[in-house]
Amino acid sequence: MSRRMGRAGRVGRAGRIVLLAMALAIHAHSALAQNARQIVEEAQKRTDAKSQRYEGLLQVFDAKGKISDKRWSFERLGSHGNSKAVLRFTAPAEVKGVALLVVNHPDRASDQWMWTPAIERDRRIALQDRSTRFFGTDFSFEDLEERDVDQFDYTLAGDDAVDGSACWRIESRPKESKSSQYTKSVVWIRKDDYAFARFENYVKDQVVRRLNYSDIENVQGIWTARQMEMADLRRGSRTRLTLDKLAYNVPFKDEDFTLQAIRRP
Amino acid sequence: MSVAAAHMIALEHVTKQFAGKRRVTALDDVSVAIPRGEMVAIIGPSGSGKSTLLNLVGGLDRPTAGSVRVDGEALAGLTDDNLTRVRRDKIGFIFQFFNLLPTLTSLENVGLPLHLRGWPRKRVEERARELLTLVQLEARMDHLPDELSGGERQRVAIARALSVYPPILLADEPTGNLDTRTGQEILALVRDLHSRLKSTVVIVTHDMSVAGSCERTIALRDGRIVDDVRRAAPNPTRGEHVALQAD
Amino acid sequence: MSLFRLISWPYFRRHVLRTLLTTAGIVLGVAVFVGMHAANQSVLFAFSRTVDRIAGKTELQVTAAETGFPEEVLDKVQTAGSVRVAVPVIEAVVDTNLKGQGSLLVLGIDMTGDRSLRDYDLESGDDAVVDDPLVFLAQPDSIIVSNEFAGRNRLSVGQRLTLGTVEGEKPFTIRGVMKASGLTSAFGGNLAIMDVYAAQKMFGRGRSFDRIDLAVKPGRSIGEAQRELTALVGPGFQIDPPSGRGQQFEAMLTAYSMGVNISSAFALFIGMFIIYNSFSIAVIQRRSEIGILRALGATRRQIRWLFLGESAVTGLIGSIGGVAFGVLIAHAIAASIGTLIADVYGVAQRTDEIARTPGLLAIAVAIGVTTSMVAAAIPAMNAARVDPVQALQKGKYQVLSAGESRLRAILALVLGLVSVVCLTTAGSRPVFYVGYFLAIVVALLLSPLLALTLARALRPMLKWVRPVEGALAADSLIQSPRRTSASVAALMLSLALVVAFAGMARASYDSIIDWMNATLNPDLFVLPSPNIVVRTIRFPPAMAGQLAAIPGIRRVQMVRDARVVFRRTPVMVVAVEMKSVAETVTRMPVEGDPDEMYRRAAAAEGLIVSDNLAELQHLRVGDTLEVPAPNGVLRLPLVGIVVDYSDQQGTILMDRSLFVRYWNDDTVNIFRVYVTPGAHVSDVRQRILETFAGQRQVFVLTNGELKAYILKITDQWFGLTSVQIAVAVLVAILGIVNTLTVSITDRRRELGVLQAVGGLHAQIRRTIWIEALSIGVLGLALGYALGAVNLYYILQIVHHDIAGLRLDYEFPVATVVALIPAILGAAFVAAIWPAESAVRGSLVEALEYE
Repeated sequence: MSRRMGRAGRVGRAGRIVLLAMALAIHAHSALAQNARQIVEEAQKRTDAKSQRYEGLLQVFDAKGKISDKRWSFERLGSHGNSKAVLRFTAPAEVKGVALLVVNHPDRASDQWMWTPAIERDRRIALQDRSTRFFGTDFSFEDLEERDVDQFDYTLAGDDAVDGSACWRIESRPKESKSSQYTKSVVWIRKDDYAFARFENYVKDQVVRRLNYSDIENVQGIWTARQMEMADLRRGSRTRLTLDKLAYNVPFKDEDFTLQAIRRP
Repeated sequence: MSVAAAHMIALEHVTKQFAGKRRVTALDDVSVAIPRGEMVAIIGPSGSGKSTLLNLVGGLDRPTAGSVRVDGEALAGLTDDNLTRVRRDKIGFIFQFFNLLPTLTSLENVGLPLHLRGWPRKRVEERARELLTLVQLEARMDHLPDELSGGERQRVAIARALSVYPPILLADEPTGNLDTRTGQEILALVRDLHSRLKSTVVIVTHDMSVAGSCERTIALRDGRIVDDVRRAAPNPTRGEHVALQAD
Repeated sequence: MSLFRLISWPYFRRHVLRTLLTTAGIVLGVAVFVGMHAANQSVLFAFSRTVDRIAGKTELQVTAAETGFPEEVLDKVQTAGSVRVAVPVIEAVVDTNLKGQGSLLVLGIDMTGDRSLRDYDLESGDDAVVDDPLVFLAQPDSIIVSNEFAGRNRLSVGQRLTLGTVEGEKPFTIRGVMKASGLTSAFGGNLAIMDVYAAQKMFGRGRSFDRIDLAVKPGRSIGEAQRELTALVGPGFQIDPPSGRGQQFEAMLTAYSMGVNISSAFALFIGMFIIYNSFSIAVIQRRSEIGILRALGATRRQIRWLFLGESAVTGLIGSIGGVAFGVLIAHAIAASIGTLIADVYGVAQRTDEIARTPGLLAIAVAIGVTTSMVAAAIPAMNAARVDPVQALQKGKYQVLSAGESRLRAILALVLGLVSVVCLTTAGSRPVFYVGYFLAIVVALLLSPLLALTLARALRPMLKWVRPVEGALAADSLIQSPRRTSASVAALMLSLALVVAFAGMARASYDSIIDWMNATLNPDLFVLPSPNIVVRTIRFPPAMAGQLAAIPGIRRVQMVRDARVVFRRTPVMVVAVEMKSVAETVTRMPVEGDPDEMYRRAAAAEGLIVSDNLAELQHLRVGDTLEVPAPNGVLRLPLVGIVVDYSDQQGTILMDRSLFVRYWNDDTVNIFRVYVTPGAHVSDVRQRILETFAGQRQVFVLTNGELKAYILKITDQWFGLTSVQIAVAVLVAILGIVNTLTVSITDRRRELGVLQAVGGLHAQIRRTIWIEALSIGVLGLALGYALGAVNLYYILQIVHHDIAGLRLDYEFPVATVVALIPAILGAAFVAAIWPAESAVRGSLVEALEYE
């Protein structure tokens, strides 16, 4: 997912845990696009905001229908690879207080820390194997990564309707220089507001993960999906993220996005 | 042939076979009785069974069939140790090769059976000296067998056999390993002891002159008794049944 | 070959028992060799395998011996240009409290870090091992166990497992079960994984790691990375491939391995001796046969090879048997070595498989065959020398010729002198070892003469006890000095070894008791683990204040000991509050002035070392020592050398402040607690336990308990002595059975005569028993004499070449006394069968026997 395509030349690396949450919330609207690549660039541009806040509900439905819920609050300052974000889990009790701090740099990979209150420790989170699942969800770390527009080739594959909205269907294939667990992805972008509507990720000719965007609303001028659902088709499980109390351009202070800050409950 | 219980040595229907690849019958249904105080020679060619007979009488071996009685006691049912006790009390052995223990002096060799009977040291020594004197070896008491002549060794062996003055003396070719003169001396000694001690003497021998000096001669061939002759007055020089001597 | 089939085979068949006994000599030697080495190898192998499996794709490991180092080192390492990936590791071995499961190796790793180094198999295909990774990280009680461990203990996800931590026993929640992989079979499958930061907290590591595992960037060489990292982190770190840990482990076990080597060498030597004796006897007994063969045209060469061939076959069969038997006993030995290593060195390891390295087994067979052939060389030569004419004449042949005795005596005298000269020209180790070897050769040369002399001296006594049986038994010994000295010498050798080991044990024991009495005078010791050598769980220094506040406590001293690498050898650093210790303990230095030593050490201006370290590393007072540490090289003068038995490889004593500064580690292994006069030790102990109840896992030992504990460990270390004693007893039995079976054959006629003239079975048996006991007595006498010499040499070796310990010479009277009934008992047991066989069998044949 990670809708915000990185700027040209920006090397997106694996392990951007928090980007999931950030990316999920941001959408852009833009002028008409001429070709597939321009459409993607425009879609990404329209998600720009100074800051963002929401409360998220993450629900994992495994193949047997078992549901596990987690809640977090999310705050981000800045956008487009030059941002800081704090994600704090609020439920269930076992993970309450666990916080993540992500500092994105324009010129290098982001730094990430995690605070675990039970052992009163913060730790740096190192880079992970990108196909690993993100904390037991159906997202892989790669799915959370900022995608560099230049590392993919795009082809306009036609028009399609998703949930009643007209969309461009664009196929993206990683360039040879880019290593990916996926052979290709198909992305649906709404024609009217350039909002992402669906992602399908392929391994060889088979769809392995499908991401659906729904409840797309205009929040403070940004078209944002209030609900995203990633289905792992091989495992038969899915993960749903619901955004609540979403707000953009909230006045945050820099000092709230530090290691010291995440240690405070 | 019936044998009176009063006999010193009595064999009834004794058979001895040796197992091997080929079963060898060394004695075949032999019955013989030797009265107390008799001096008997057993003669016969090699393999006739004479040594086997002697070994059975001495309790060194057990018969395959038949019974052996010594001084009225049946040997058949006895344990090894009880057999040894019979031997110890009633029988003295004299061997062709003397069978002295090379590491012991004459005195010690003679004292051996007495020690084995558990006699006190002092008494053992007294008796051993007495016996060595009896066989005229006073001067050789502390000599080792190696330091003695053949005749002297046999005298020590005889002294050892006499340790407790047993009623029976068994001699297997006592002169077989000695020159003629010494042999005669030893034979004279045995005869002398026989007459003085009134012991029953059984001598296995090839030597006709030895046999001739005995009161009775039993001849064996192929495990059977082929002749049994008693002389009223033994002739020390010649036997009467020369024809029986095979070798 | 046909000669072999025609001549040797029937001989073997006729003397089945003796052939077996001869073979048993080699079996024994090879079995001890294989058992000891296979066990040792297995332990090393199991350790290396655990290291390997845990290491995964790790190419280099950064360690600071066992002390651990601050987390910042990881950041430094990660910045290195040649490093592709670097991850932190903490290892802890904890008690599972599960019956029969022993300990669990807990591997603390960074769950959020790069997992490419190790195959945790946390996620394979559709099944995640950890249900919820976030919960796993958020909860410090999370643990993943191997499928083997889970299977063995019927554990599944969600269940609790109680493990010992610094905070006392704590329940852990199993949040995942690892699937079978290389990793899960490490440490015999008793493996668990937890988060490295949770592990820091649970095992009291503060903000430090034990190790960094890393892989090198593609295109960079390991050597390059090693150089870069050494420059980056400094000399206090070891940067080695994972196999290096195996080598360190091996280095730590040097003293033990040396003991193993000496034992197996002796066992082989004894085996060789048994073969030599058997063949010497066989040559004598088969003289006439050899004479006939020679008369029929056999060459000397053919005769020699007949015997050498026999010995080769015996050696081969014996070696194969020895290998099989050795592998069997290796299990038991490995188990005991495992316990020993855990208790003495504090390194837990599990040995589940016995290494059956084809190399070792091949070497064992080769050694067995060679030993057997070497042993038979002299008898074979003697056989070849047999003169056909003389051989066919019957006569005495057992008696040592006067000429030979004289030759032996002269040779022994000369070699003895050379041996003494070797001793006096101290300094050169090879010369010393030559002297040692010669001393043993002298003993072997003299043993027939000495055995003969002793047997002669024994005769009147035996005769007095039993006029017939005693005298005959003694005569039997005297008449056949070769036959007698055969088992006497074998017994002598093995007893000499036992005496030396026992003497060394005794001396060490006494020295350790002296040392303990001098240095371990606190009333109580507070430890974080019931095992004092386990240093993976430690206390925070703040506890000192808490302890000092407890009523009845007069003084608290903090001790931190850790194994570090000094001059490429693992040695022990003991960091104490030198000033306080100087007030409570006065040790007379071996070298250096006591006041000056303590003053400078307390001022952190100097280091004190143990005398064994000084001996092994050739250190003198005044030398400047360089001890590499994570925070730089500690460079200080040596101000004193003291007697200390903390470690076999040596000890460096320093003030606590130095350790805190250079190792960045303020944790404590042991608190030494002095009780106020008048206070009851047991009350204070109770108060300590109450103070920390529920807070920390605390073990309080009284002075007596700690000493008893140390002595128990010492006992275990010398458990090897019991193997020696077992070998000695076996040798006694084997040798004596061997000698007696020959003896009863030789004396068949004599025993027949004895029975013919009235000897009862009991009397015949008695003479055999007396003969056996006499051999035992002779062996004991000569063995103790040689043992006295051997002990001297072993102590020298221990002092100069193994542990650097200066041990006082003390003859191990208790062991020696205890061995008398053991050996005589063994002799008696050995005589049972020959005695029975002497009273069986045909009297008639015995009397005709020639």
